[in-house]
Amino acid sequence: MSFLLDPFSADFMVRAFIAGVVIGGLCALVGVLVVQRGLAFIGDGLAHAAFGGIALGLLIGPALEKNRAIAGSARAMTMVRDGSWIALPFTVLIALGIAFVLRRGRLRGDAATGVFFAVSFALGVLFLGLRPTSAPPVNVEAVLFGSILAVTPSDLLTATVVAVLVAGVLILVWPKLAYALFDRELAELSGVRVAVLDYLLLAIAAVVTVVAVKTAGVVLVSAYVVIPAATARMIGRRLSSVAIIAVVLGAAGSAIGLLASYHLNVASGATIILTLGLIFALGLAFGPRRRA
Amino acid sequence: MTEASPPSRYTPPDPRMPRVLDVRDLCVELAGRTILDEVSFFVPKGEFLCLCGPNGAGKSTLLKTILGLIEPKSGEVVRSGTVGYVPQRKTFDRDFPATAVELIVANLRGGWPIRIKPEERELAKRALARVGGEKLIDKNLADLSGGETQRVFLARALVTDPVLIILDEPTAGVDVGGRQELLTLMEEISRSDELAAILVTHNIAAIARTAERILYLDGRVMAWGLPHELLGKERFSAIMPSPRDADASGAAWPQDDE
Repeated sequence: MSFLLDPFSADFMVRAFIAGVVIGGLCALVGVLVVQRGLAFIGDGLAHAAFGGIALGLLIGPALEKNRAIAGSARAMTMVRDGSWIALPFTVLIALGIAFVLRRGRLRGDAATGVFFAVSFALGVLFLGLRPTSAPPVNVEAVLFGSILAVTPSDLLTATVVAVLVAGVLILVWPKLAYALFDRELAELSGVRVAVLDYLLLAIAAVVTVVAVKTAGVVLVSAYVVIPAATARMIGRRLSSVAIIAVVLGAAGSAIGLLASYHLNVASGATIILTLGLIFALGLAFGPRRRA
Repeated sequence: MTEASPPSRYTPPDPRMPRVLDVRDLCVELAGRTILDEVSFFVPKGEFLCLCGPNGAGKSTLLKTILGLIEPKSGEVVRSGTVGYVPQRKTFDRDFPATAVELIVANLRGGWPIRIKPEERELAKRALARVGGEKLIDKNLADLSGGETQRVFLARALVTDPVLIILDEPTAGVDVGGRQELLTLMEEISRSDELAAILVTHNIAAIARTAERILYLDGRVMAWGLPHELLGKERFSAIMPSPRDADASGAAWPQDDE
């Protein structure tokens, strides 16, 4: 029993555990939808877009810290200091740009994502290089690989609020969205506004990615999006059951991975991803076989 | 408004018959290119029309315009009731995690069902029974053969009690056995006096066994008449497979009687 309870003697571990479960479940839910839309790499693309946004936020943030209204609010200061105040609108704009390119139909999803991903990341590197030497140093490693153990109560609150809102919106639009994911033409024939749903899904993916980057890091966030969704696809027979399985696997993988990293004294983000990978391998080996 | 006026050597339907679809002077442009030019024809109640034409003739554009997915530049499409649609097999994700009953109920509701009501299930069951697919109701789409998949899609189209059903290359990508089953089903539809159909196909067996009339499209209506007026004729044969390539069922290939 102490194996399970010991890690929670420290507050930061409790926060990390809850954040991991919330982010793991949230990314998996969005992952099921984007994977079904043929945009499995959107998490990767948007995470790199978030890097560009974070870097831009860090570049112009110091000037804003002098603003009295911002300086007076602890939450506003946190957002300015971690760059998320720019990363959020920046990433949403990139997501809408990808949706626009997809709708024009000249590029496939992976190509559109690849273009935006590379340009945003290059902008991020450029923005970081333009920061004055007097600016506080940036922990690039934490941005790239995440820092789940450094999650603050404020981060946790943000993640939870976003999770509740996203889940609510997705439940609301689920029938129309699922129909559009199955076949856009048939859905349109039934009066579903497929274009609006495209933009909505990518905007939601952007918001979730920005929130997840804080804990999972730019490089690893796509694993939270893709692996539980891919595993659940092998097991579930209906889209709704695939979504539930993915959420459970994402949350459980994060929890188990975090506990394992604590006891093995190894990097938590990487251990969580490896746990999700192990669950995928088990699904592959023991999951139901489909007709060839 | 001009009435459809095909060349005189072909026989169009009697204009006095009640119509389920009326296409009048339809012009469609896509990306600045004229795809359909002054296309006019109608489908009487219960008639089985085969729509043929070479690749790029505008067949898919015509179907999408009839279905309301494409806005015409000019002209109009008048439908007298619900239109059912069976898409090409390649357009939808065959691995989508869904069961046949969900797909059919989605068409009833206009949204993907999370829970299915008993009355909806009963309607789906009845629609499947019409295509001999009752046993498929709880099967996963990924586990169905090509023929079974098309039967489920046919049931999906029939569940809303349409007056017209549009079948876009339903036998494409289906194995020989499945194709025979589908042809038999389409023959039954063809015999129905209540349900009209438009079948787009390159399968000569399907045309020979089902067509009550043929419309040959190539951007414009090139011919619109009875099967014996077109099948086997030189211009029509150029776009269709030869009898040797036709379906293994040994489709009849009427002799040129001109």
